[in-house]
Amino acid sequence: MAQARLDRREQITGWAFIAPALVLLGLFMIYPIVWSLWMSFQVGKGMNLSFGGFTNIMRLTKDTVFLRALGNTFTFFIIQVPIMITLALLFAVALNDATLKFRGLFRTAIFLPCVTSLIAYSTLFKSMFATDGVVNQALMAIHAISGPISWFGDPFWAKVVVIIAITWRWTGYNMIFYLAALQNIDRSIYEAARIDGVPAWARFRYLTIPMLKPVILFTTVISTIGTLQLFDEVYNFTAGTGGPSDSTLTLSLYIYNLTFKFMPSFGYSATVSWVIVIVVAILSFLQFLVARDRRVKP
Amino acid sequence: MSSLKLTGVRKSYGNLEVIKGVDLEIKSKEFVVFVGPSGCGKSTLLRMIAGLEHISAGDLEIGGQRMNEVDPSKRGIAMVFQSYALYPHMTVRENMGFALRFAGVAKDQIAIQVQEAARILALEPLLDRVPKELSGGQRQRVAIGRAIVRNPQVFLFDEPLSNLDAELRVHMRIEIARLHKELQTTIVYVTHDQVEAMTLADTIVVLRDGRIEQVGRPLDLYDNPANLFVAGFIGSPRMNFMAGRVTASGQGSITVELTHQGKAQVTVPVAGTAPAIGDAVTVGLRAEHFGAAGAGGADIHLDIDVAEHLGSTSYIYANTKTGEQIIIEREESRNELDRESITVSIDPDRAYLFDAQGLRIQ
Amino acid sequence: MTVSPMTDMAADRAVATRSFMPGNAWALVRRGLVYLMLSVAAFISVFPFFWMIVGATNSSAEIIKGKASFGDALFTNAATFFTQVDALRVFWNSGFIAVVATALTLVISSLAGYGFEMFRSRIRERIFSLLLLLLSIPFAAMMVPLFVMFAQAKLVNTYVAVILPTVASIFIIFYFRQATKAFPSELRDAAKIDGLKEWQIFLFVYMPVMRSTYAAATIIIFMTNWNNYLWPLIVLQTAENKTITLILSALTSAYTPDYGMLLFGTVLATLPTLVIFFLLQRRFVEGMLGAVK
Repeated sequence: MAQARLDRREQITGWAFIAPALVLLGLFMIYPIVWSLWMSFQVGKGMNLSFGGFTNIMRLTKDTVFLRALGNTFTFFIIQVPIMITLALLFAVALNDATLKFRGLFRTAIFLPCVTSLIAYSTLFKSMFATDGVVNQALMAIHAISGPISWFGDPFWAKVVVIIAITWRWTGYNMIFYLAALQNIDRSIYEAARIDGVPAWARFRYLTIPMLKPVILFTTVISTIGTLQLFDEVYNFTAGTGGPSDSTLTLSLYIYNLTFKFMPSFGYSATVSWVIVIVVAILSFLQFLVARDRRVKP
Repeated sequence: MSSLKLTGVRKSYGNLEVIKGVDLEIKSKEFVVFVGPSGCGKSTLLRMIAGLEHISAGDLEIGGQRMNEVDPSKRGIAMVFQSYALYPHMTVRENMGFALRFAGVAKDQIAIQVQEAARILALEPLLDRVPKELSGGQRQRVAIGRAIVRNPQVFLFDEPLSNLDAELRVHMRIEIARLHKELQTTIVYVTHDQVEAMTLADTIVVLRDGRIEQVGRPLDLYDNPANLFVAGFIGSPRMNFMAGRVTASGQGSITVELTHQGKAQVTVPVAGTAPAIGDAVTVGLRAEHFGAAGAGGADIHLDIDVAEHLGSTSYIYANTKTGEQIIIEREESRNELDRESITVSIDPDRAYLFDAQGLRIQ
Repeated sequence: MTVSPMTDMAADRAVATRSFMPGNAWALVRRGLVYLMLSVAAFISVFPFFWMIVGATNSSAEIIKGKASFGDALFTNAATFFTQVDALRVFWNSGFIAVVATALTLVISSLAGYGFEMFRSRIRERIFSLLLLLLSIPFAAMMVPLFVMFAQAKLVNTYVAVILPTVASIFIIFYFRQATKAFPSELRDAAKIDGLKEWQIFLFVYMPVMRSTYAAATIIIFMTNWNNYLWPLIVLQTAENKTITLILSALTSAYTPDYGMLLFGTVLATLPTLVIFFLLQRRFVEGMLGAVK
């Protein structure tokens, strides 16, 4: 679909098609970001702002709450994204087999959580993981634990619930991406490998994974962005506190609190926002880098 | 090297039987071509030999051993797919050497074998390219190279040339024929193109609807088709079929009145049992076997529909008054380019007779 | 992969039992493990829904005790819910916002995606790359300035404020652009020869052909908007303008929540997305297939 050169009329049409989106993006994305950047150098409460130079950045380095939020966000990212991507891959590969029965059912079931409303699954998870909730009862029934776990009361377990919740929610979504990509792979490649005596695990590792690399990269980047910006689940599980004792506080939640709950320091919250931007940008860049350098060396 | 044997092989998908009892024996080093129209089961049969499809009934033997339940990788076969099925993220070298890694072959040995296969197929300058950077013909050769490297007893080709353009197809056909001579292995080749079959095969197996219609050497099939289907399938342009009725049956010959050719009568020599008078038969004659008017045999008068002039040959598509189409092939004559009608004669010695069921009357 | 004359056979092969060498015991075991894994995954995925529906029919006390069977408190829960919540108003809020946002997003983002793909120029390519970079910017970084903007325009607590910032979705633009790569350019050429103008081509040729893409996008956009939490939380201030998502969230933070009523409300809140999903499901998978190349 290569058009060498567009004539004038087509050029104008091209702009016309993308203009509405660009205008909106400029207004509601570019402008806020730039404003935010400017704000990050301001200090003061509420709307009483004055230029503070790097004051906000200095404040960052000493802010233990910020550091904890940073740590939490990273923890969520490091643990949740790989688990989810791996599960989604496994499910997709399993479901790609045409001879499997109930494929459609499995696929719909695993994808269902993605369609659920946020509030629905927050409520559900809160009631299921309550101290006297279903999960504890089930675990005690099979003697996996001796006493009920205080899921939301314990810093460690609270993080676990969040990770479980996000994974539950989004694995199906990524799985669909992989399924679609797998469908596009020429089946004869696998048949050729079978005839040539390549064992199943090797087919997965040396054929499937490399061929899926673009999709895997895409979903990893999207998931990274999503998890680093984590807000909804944590806010709802902990009624906005990020507790217990800031153990589930994420960067986004911290920014929200800085802006709307504590003494509103717009400047400082803008600074923290930009931290996320930079972190996400670096991580995305790294992921692209890793994807490019790795070559399947037989 | 070994032979391949199919005994009473059948295949069903649920209630649908697609291969209906195939018996075939392939000798070592033979180039066998499975040919037939779409849906005849030739690819399915090939895949059953490969082990990609389960055999519902019957026996498959390769090299004298029963292979029905044996894993594809252990049958001593290699397969070249229609879409080449190259691993897109690996170089040509890696593609060809990939399988050997899991066969327990040492790295330097792999390099040697890959190099050798590359030499045979003139792939040496391409060894470090990826499939994306190769042309269709080059990819085809890599696919073949991947198969060669494993030193199989039997090579399987599944319509390998279908995705190539006409000129490349001719070129690759010659390459494959040359390969066969050099490698001296058994080849089973599937195609729907009867030209490929005629040019490449030692033996052609014509399939239709899951059954073997005829097996034989190319020219044997051309000269002695066993039935209407094979007669019409082999040979281009297609053999002409004229409906007729037996009017006289005598010693070693039958006289047939051609229904659509203005009651022309042709007397054809017949060796075995002759059909009864009044029976419907079909007379077959190849396009190149029409003689000039009055040359003996029956004369028929035709209106020319379209004439194709290829320089040395011309194909004349003509019709009878009742619409039966006849194709005539003749040497090009510059004098007759604008004719509207033509009279040709049917050479009875070259004519074939088929009964109402399509079987050849010998 | 080019289309071969054998495509029919290939389709048969895929649909029918492509059973290969089942004599292998290990293959059977592996097959069994696969079924096990998928069943567990499916169970875990679906259980919360089941729990939700069952919970909506039980009283709060029963739920806390862990009752897993249907009860008879459905009407009680419903009654409690409808007295506490102006359901009509709230669902109207959510619905209006979601529907309008979906429609607008589809139009604007598909126009942009089509435009980027069909009318390529160097500048536009750079702009597109810039857009992809923008994806990494978290909403948290923009919410304050956005809020201030709308406050200054006196549009806080309105539908406009909720919908507008979400309409130009970079992700959806990207999705449509990818999907448009599979749109045969010959169709556009043929339409031009027939005398159609560009906007007509988009409306009468492109949109019908890309039905599955639109369907898949609809599901994603609708879901995103229906579940949108942070921005509506910031912008919608009065109870009568809040969405069901916000209202339920507030209810759950009550000291002793009435779980029965809550789960009932949750079922209601989940219904629209479920309905849309099941309606468009088939097209959704087609649509995803078309875009992932």
